[in-house]
This record gives sequence, structure tokens and C-alpha cells, in this order.
Amino acid sequence: MSDTITYLTDATMITAVVPAGRADDLLKAARDVGASGGIVHQARGTGARELLGLLGIAVEAEREVVNIVVPTDYQELVTNAIVHAGGLGKPGGGYLYLTALEKVATYIPEASMARLQAGD
Amino acid sequence: MSATNLFAGTEGLHSPVAHSYHAAARMTGRYRYINFQRSLGGGAAAVSARLLSQEPERDAAGRIVRLRTARPSFTPREIARLFQPYVSQRFLDQFKTVAPLAAYLVLFQLLFLRQLVQDSWLITGGLLAVILGLMFFMEGLKLGLMPFGTVIGATLPRKSSLPVVLILTLLLGIGVTFAEPAISALKMAGQNVAVERAPYLYALLNDWAGTLVLVVGASVGVAAVVGTLRFLYGWSLKPLIYLTLAPVLSLTVYAALRPELAKALGLAWDTGAVTTGPVTVPLVLSLGIGIAAAAGKGDSGLSGFGTVTLASLFPVGGVLLLLLYVASILSPEQIIAAAHAAQAAASSTPAWYQRSPSLEIVSGIRAILPLVVFLFLVLSALLREKLPHRSEIFLGIAFTIIGMCIFNIGLTYGLSKLGGSAGGLVPVAFMEVAGFADSPLYVYAVGLSLALLFAWVLGFGATVAEPALNALGITAEQLTNGVFKKRTLILAVSTGVAFGIALGLLKLIFDLPLVYMILAGYLLALALTVVSSEEFVNVAWDSAGVTTGPITVPLVLAMGLGFGNATHAVEGFGILSMASIGPIITVLLSGLWSRYRTGAQARAARTPITANIKTSEVFL
Repeated sequence: MSDTITYLTDATMITAVVPAGRADDLLKAARDVGASGGIVHQARGTGARELLGLLGIAVEAEREVVNIVVPTDYQELVTNAIVHAGGLGKPGGGYLYLTALEKVATYIPEASMARLQAGD
Repeated sequence: MSATNLFAGTEGLHSPVAHSYHAAARMTGRYRYINFQRSLGGGAAAVSARLLSQEPERDAAGRIVRLRTARPSFTPREIARLFQPYVSQRFLDQFKTVAPLAAYLVLFQLLFLRQLVQDSWLITGGLLAVILGLMFFMEGLKLGLMPFGTVIGATLPRKSSLPVVLILTLLLGIGVTFAEPAISALKMAGQNVAVERAPYLYALLNDWAGTLVLVVGASVGVAAVVGTLRFLYGWSLKPLIYLTLAPVLSLTVYAALRPELAKALGLAWDTGAVTTGPVTVPLVLSLGIGIAAAAGKGDSGLSGFGTVTLASLFPVGGVLLLLLYVASILSPEQIIAAAHAAQAAASSTPAWYQRSPSLEIVSGIRAILPLVVFLFLVLSALLREKLPHRSEIFLGIAFTIIGMCIFNIGLTYGLSKLGGSAGGLVPVAFMEVAGFADSPLYVYAVGLSLALLFAWVLGFGATVAEPALNALGITAEQLTNGVFKKRTLILAVSTGVAFGIALGLLKLIFDLPLVYMILAGYLLALALTVVSSEEFVNVAWDSAGVTTGPITVPLVLAMGLGFGNATHAVEGFGILSMASIGPIITVLLSGLWSRYRTGAQARAARTPITANIKTSEVFL
């Protein structure tokens, strides 16, 4: 079994684009409801600042992009936690989107693997 | 999608099962538990993104050519929510630096000096104005002036020849000095100097105040030019420091030998601390780095350093030269006579523009506009560049001016008053002060140590929270590959400033000649510089300029003057200069110490091998 790849299916990637400095709050909220972790990218956004005219000074171009992969069955739970913790429902709070992942490959601990195979 | 299922559960949207389920629920009155829970938490709704966008532009054939994005309209409540985090964060940034200092001064007066702060409402209002003013000023700087710096820094060196660039750098130095918020504090300090006791000091701060700022600005400009040349040719900072200090220290000694001139030494050395603030450092550096980048010299890590050092040393020399010039054309008697004549003439009420608060507003506009006009001319006439986001830049410039005006008002009513009253009250602890019945409050030795402790803690507290110092700490850690920890640097600088301010207070109490303290301090710093490595020298000498921000400078300046008045010292300057030399010495010392410790660890690790240690150490 060492050279077979085990794919995980039914996974969703939550991508949240938020003002710089908020990513840690989001990740903490996600972990609090059980998500395993995520990635933070530094990014620079365009558009909102220009679109808003002078109101745009309240929008920082510096953004953080957070990627979190969760089982599709629990995507709502984690999304809710992120939206509330990150203030994504407020003006200027950023946005998130969910992407269905076709498959995910990673190392699966032997104990988990044994449990999966027993379940088959 | 129809509007009716807008608020159905997300996964129920396209599923016929869910639709029949909803129908069933309506009929039977039974609901899924999960839907109940969603109804509590607000749940989720789905809307097609197309519904939020407008009908696209189509050509004659009906093909879509272009999407239309309308500028969204917001209700006032939405705008308030958009700006709430923006405003509160900027407010907190300034609040965090002002509030602890103010609280400390008030508490110290209450607990140790048993005095209530007079005009507490006026001072609170003034401090609020300082916070608001700095908030507007810093934001305006970011929105309105920094884009100029970036564009000019990136394009000027490529489009113009080096001499032109250097001349513009010189002019920029003058412009930024006028725009520096702490400069107005220096001018304000002049009102409290008694002309009979220190005529030249009085002349510099009153009749010659404009020239003084001009000379300081020109010195900053020259420093910026030398700093830029240093970027270009990769000069070491050490020889520059030696070459600068030699004439400046000689001028100091020369002035100290003439008693009338010696009284202005404190002012000369204090201006160095005033010049390097939130306007000068980023604008001058962005130009310098742009020039270095255009010449193919990348950011070597060290290239950002040194200019701050030179910009705090050159003005000392400039002010000393101005002092000698004034002394050569005017005698003390002439100054005193002129001052008396001016006072007699000014006994009538001053014109509206010479009174507070319009005075602050006029001086705020006068401080910013020349810099803006200069930057604008360089950009449009010389570079023919267009600025991106024009309206934002104009808003930023407006913010800068508004901020400067509010800050100036706050300076008069808040920082200067609070610092002055604190400085005036501290001597009550150990000496008899007219107007305080039970002064001195403590036995001489206790009261004196209390006053020194007060100064020490003030210096430490004001420095340790300075955001610029944090940034310097991070750079220093990277530069020295982690040998010099950020925490070490912050502690070293804060301790240095603390001892510096305490020493400055000692100078005022015992009327010590500043020249000895300066000479001793800078000679020690020079000796340490000789044996330190280039990285530590850069960090240490720059740390002196970094620590004195727009809040610390007016506060300490006012405190010194108030203290000087109460103890009948001739002048209250000199504390800031001590606060500048303090951190240079402590940072150099701690740099040497951390190098010694790393060396000791390395030696300890190598002791078992005996034979070739000497040679291997040479190569390492």
C-alpha cells in the first residue's frame, strides 16, 4: 500500500479575503470549531478603494487571504464561525468563497487508515 | 431564481425534495431541527451574483461588450460602520502613546507632590486635540504626502542628473523641517525665555526664530544630501560621524568659552532631537533609496540608516554657526533694548492672526503648504508626472493641514501646559518654591531622588512604547542575524533615554555646564564607535533620532522649561540632548556586550580542541 495514493474526497476549500491583520482572528475562530488549520497569504487588493471614491480611504489595499480545507459536511459550521469572527458581514469586512475540491492527497496516519479500511 | 426561495436553506435551493419538504412543513407545522437552529442564527440565503450587477453594455448585435460597475451607494449607517474600525484604530494608535504619559504625569503630581493638576479640563481638551491632530496628520501624511515621496523617489533619479537631484534633496530637507510637528514646540519655548538672563537664546528663539528653523532645515537638507551620497557610494558611517563631530564639538567648546553664548548651547543640541520626526524620515529616505535603486545599488539593509544620524547632528552645527553670526552682529545690550522696545510696542492687543487659536491655524498652514507646493512643482514642472488618485491626495493634504492645526492647538493647551506644570511642580519635592506653602515636601535627599526617579521613569516609559523604536528593533535583529535581539535594543534605548533625561534634570538642578556633559558623552560614544562594528554603529546612532517623536519632544521640552523656571536656572534646554546621547552609549555598550557574549560562547564551545584555535578564529 506504500505506493498507492489515497485520495480524500468531499472536501471544500474556504478562501477568505480580509483586511490585513484579521487572518489570525479567522483562523482562531475556525480552529475553535474544529478546523485543523489553514494558510495565510499576504496580498494586495484593488478595486474597492477605487470604486468607493473618497470613501475608499477606509479600505486598506493590504489584504490577507486565508485558505482552510474542511470536510464538505462541516463547511457551513466553519463558514459561519469565520463570517462572525471576521466581521465579513460588515462593510469593508472582506469576502469569502467556497470551492468544492475534487480530491485531496496527504499523509494519513496509520491508525486512521486502519479505521477507514475496517469501515469498508 | 425566484424571489420566494431567497431565504430558503442553502442546500434546499435547487432540490425538489426540499421544496416538497417545505410544502409538507407548512401543512403539518413540523420543522426540521436544523432549520430551527438556522432561524435563530440568521441562517444563510443565496442570491445569484448576477442580480447584484447591472445590465451589461451591448453592441448593436446584442453581444456583451462591457460590464457595468456602478458605484455603490451607502446609507449613512453603513458609512459609519465602514469607518468605525478605520477611525477607532487610528485613534487608539495615538491614544496609546499620549494617554500613559499624561496619566503618569498626573498621577505623579497627585501621589508624590500632592498637587491637583490645574486647568485639568483645558489640558484634557488639549490632549484630545493632540490625539485628534496627530491622527489626521499621520493619515494625511500617508494619503497625501507619501505618494509624492514614492513617485518622486522612483522617477526623479532616472530623469534628472545627480546635481539636480541633490539640490532638490537639499530643498526637500528644508521643506520637511518646516512641516515637522515638533518644530512648533521649539518656537513656542521661546516665549518663556527671559531676555535679560540669556539674550542670545532669546534672540534666536524670537527675532531670529524664522532664520533658526531655516538654518535647521538647511542642515537637515545637507544631511540628506550627504546621506544620499552615502547610499550611492556605500560610505561607512564611522568616518562621517568623526568628520561631523569634530567641528561640531569644537564649535561647542568655542561657544562654551564665552559665557553669553554658552547659554544657547542647550538649544543648539536640542534641535538635533527635534528634527528627525514623522515627516522627515520617510520622505528623505524614500528619495535616498530611490536614488540608490536608480544607480543600481539595491537596498543593502544598511542603506536606510545614517541619514537620521546626520540629520540630528548637522543642525547642531548649523544652529551654533547661526549663534556665532548673531553674536558677531548684535551685542547683548542691543538685543535687550530691542526686546524691551518690542514689548512696549506689543502692549496693545495683538492682531487676530497673532492670537490663539488663529495663530496655531495660521502656523499650521504655513508649515505644510511650502512642502506641498515644492513637491507639486517638482512633480509637475520637472518630472511631468501625473499623480494617481488625485482626489485622495488632495484629501490627504487637507488632512495634514487640519491635523497640524489641531495638533498645534493641542500643543498649546495640552502638552506644553501639562509638561510645564509638571516641570514646575517637581522641584517642590526638594526645594522651596514660591507659592507652595509647605515646600519642600521631602527631606532634600529624598526629594531629589524622587525628582530624578520621576525623570527616569518618564524617559523609560515614553521610549519603550514608541512605535518607531519597535520598527528599528526588527531591522536591527535582521541586520545582525539575530545576535542583537529586538527586546535588547528597546531596553537599551529606553534605559539610555531614561538616564539621559535624569542627567538633563541634574543639569538643570545644579546648573551644570552642558558643555562638559556633551563632551564627555560624545567622546565616550566616539570611543565606543571606534571599537564597534558597522551594523551596531548604524543602529546605535540612529536610535537617538528615532526615540524623539512629536509627543515626547514638546512634553520634555515644556517640562524642562517649567523646571528651569521653578529652580531659577538660566535656561531649561539640554534635557533632549542628553536624551539623544544616552541611547547611543547604551546601545553601543549592549552591542559590544552581546558580541562579547557570543564570542565567549563560541570560545567555550571550542575549548576541547586546542591546537589550531588561533588560526581558525582569524578566519571565522
